[in-house]
Amino acid sequence: MKDVRVWFTKDNECKYISHLDLNRCMLRALHKSRIPIWHTEGFNVHPYATFPLPLSLGFKGERECMDIRLVEEYSFEDIKVNLNKSLPSGIRIFDVTEPEMKAKEIAFSVFNIRITSDKLSGDEVYRLLDELFNKDEVLVEKKTKKKGIKEIDIKPFFNDFKLERNIGGAILNITLPAGSVTNINPLLIQKAFERYYNTEVYFNVTKTDMLNKNLKSFK
Amino acid sequence: MIKKSIPLYALESGDAITDFDFIGFTLQYELSFSNVLNMLKLAGIPLKSSDRKDLKQIVVAGGPCACNPEPLADFIDIFFIGEGEEVDLEVIELYRKCRDGNKSKDEFLRLAANIKGVYVPALYDVEYNEDGTIKCFNPKDGVSEKVEKRLMLDMDNSYYPENFVVPNIEIVHDRAVSEIFRGCIRGCRFCQAGFLYRPVREKSIEVINEQCHKLCNNTGYDEVSLSSLSSSDYTEIVALLTELNKWAEDEKVSISLPSLRVDGFSDDILSKINTVRKSGLTFAPEAGTQRLRDVINKNVFEDELMETCSKAFNAGWTKVKLYFMIGLPTETYEDVEGIAHLAQKVVDTYYRCESKPKGKSVTVTISTASFVPKPFTPFQWFPQNSRKTLMDKQLHLKETITTKKINYNYHDADTSYLEAVFARGDRRLCAVLEKACEKGFHFDGWSDCFSLESWFEIFDECGIDPDFYACRERSFDEILPWDFLDYGVSKDFLKKEREKAYNDTTTEHCRLKCSNCGAAKYGGGVCFERR
Repeated sequence: MKDVRVWFTKDNECKYISHLDLNRCMLRALHKSRIPIWHTEGFNVHPYATFPLPLSLGFKGERECMDIRLVEEYSFEDIKVNLNKSLPSGIRIFDVTEPEMKAKEIAFSVFNIRITSDKLSGDEVYRLLDELFNKDEVLVEKKTKKKGIKEIDIKPFFNDFKLERNIGGAILNITLPAGSVTNINPLLIQKAFERYYNTEVYFNVTKTDMLNKNLKSFK
Repeated sequence: MIKKSIPLYALESGDAITDFDFIGFTLQYELSFSNVLNMLKLAGIPLKSSDRKDLKQIVVAGGPCACNPEPLADFIDIFFIGEGEEVDLEVIELYRKCRDGNKSKDEFLRLAANIKGVYVPALYDVEYNEDGTIKCFNPKDGVSEKVEKRLMLDMDNSYYPENFVVPNIEIVHDRAVSEIFRGCIRGCRFCQAGFLYRPVREKSIEVINEQCHKLCNNTGYDEVSLSSLSSSDYTEIVALLTELNKWAEDEKVSISLPSLRVDGFSDDILSKINTVRKSGLTFAPEAGTQRLRDVINKNVFEDELMETCSKAFNAGWTKVKLYFMIGLPTETYEDVEGIAHLAQKVVDTYYRCESKPKGKSVTVTISTASFVPKPFTPFQWFPQNSRKTLMDKQLHLKETITTKKINYNYHDADTSYLEAVFARGDRRLCAVLEKACEKGFHFDGWSDCFSLESWFEIFDECGIDPDFYACRERSFDEILPWDFLDYGVSKDFLKKEREKAYNDTTTEHCRLKCSNCGAAKYGGGVCFERR
């Protein structure tokens, strides 16, 4: 038995495949490609595939990964080629590796976000974002699993970011906590913006990387 | 889409629907008629056939509800009557020729009407009597008076897709499907499919096996469903499951049977199908008393149901769902109470089972649908119970149930009423549908989008009494809106079946005895099996 980490991009119309659907989509592709993967042995036998850090619906992913387990020898190159044949064009496998880190070591996600608006000028969008990032606290309502809606301050998470003026608005590069302990969805910034300035803005989000607590790329 | 002026487009290619030569609809359910029109509207295509003058955007429809096409007669250019594997290709071939020969749409439709299984409503005129019934149905321009259904006699050599579009987002029936036979031997008198798809024709084990395997390989699905009416009636069902399991077990593919009769639930079958998800078992006794089950020719007995439930309970199931209909012909309040009594007996059976799961309670869920009389069944003349009667019966059943081990769900009588109107409607309903579309009606099959009150307003505006279609007893002499269609089952047979129903008499199924329904004229299927 061999653990394998499959790396892929998720883009175009495939941005709109939810995490659960992505799971099913991958399982169909694995089944179609006849890659000998391990099945769970419980009461409900099913093929085993997990995603160390799921991607939110609507986000583009440049470095996503899925963990599977092989029960027979099967070359990494063949996994890549055969899966790509079976997957929709918006999901592309670009590498297959042996996992170096454990899934729970993921501590941060890196995002590249293009922010635009129908109502505000590009300059205005940039100016208001800049203002938002310089506030002492940024309060926003966050849905929690247990208590329903909770108000939190997301300002403490704005440590590593770069805001730039861009055609039609701004580009924000930001590293946010991710994983099972603290997870800050970048769309909370959008929510905060809309709450403070009472106008709609578009966030076109790309997740570019995942990091461990030492800010090393997840491998 | 309306807000952003995006016209309706094809899911796979993204092409606008307006650019298509053919636009096809499968009519599965009467309440989706409003969706058909809404889709044409969203696409920017004129609703009425007569407003689409050029040889393009030919709107065609088929499927079970095409057996009474009249409520959609103004909108659809061509109906495919019966099974579509060949007839659609023939029509498209003709279209190509007509297009290359610069023929008009009218010329094309006239030629298409010569193809067997094609109904072009524009080529027929209907006259009505003063009482609103049909006086005559006149073919124009020398087209045939009767339109005969198409069917595929040789199932093994009929086209079946080995590869199809697999959506990336979960859909209903998210699995591979292989059809194992067409038709049903049983002849339950309420069931339209049981009459429309006669005679029963089976696919061979070899062909099913190959198709299932290819489907799983091509789509990546790890579940394949064997589709048919009453699957356990496949003559060699156990041999088929054995053959499939030869590869399915190794490839971790599970096999499921969607339609099991109470009397077809054998240990042999159980051990070979998908038994992983023990969420619940569903059976459909359809009626609460033996007398009423005889009326509808269900041919399921109480002891069979109890035996089957015992098997299931002893094998670890604790939940059983039972489906019934209320408002069936000749039904009394005693029959309605019978539903609750039957469910109680299933509960009692559970507690008598020795190998039932320890320390667990049983849940029996009963669901009742309201009976909708359908064309081409022995009940096609029957008046549907009024909504008030149906609701009274639902309430009565609710009150008869005294234990919390029995859950009761019932299907809304309002939607069943509208279904009954359109199921047996005629061309005058086209005006109603057109108005509904104008007012933006859609998704009437979904309770959150459905309002019978707003439909009543439209009926009123159009001067149409919906009770005329749903709740009126029709006489044997009346010309029914669908009488010009020939589905192989003779009207005389349906009349005899109705008489038998009213005398609580059953009819044996096709494999036991031929009842001369008329379907033998096609020269194949179960009619020519050795009995």
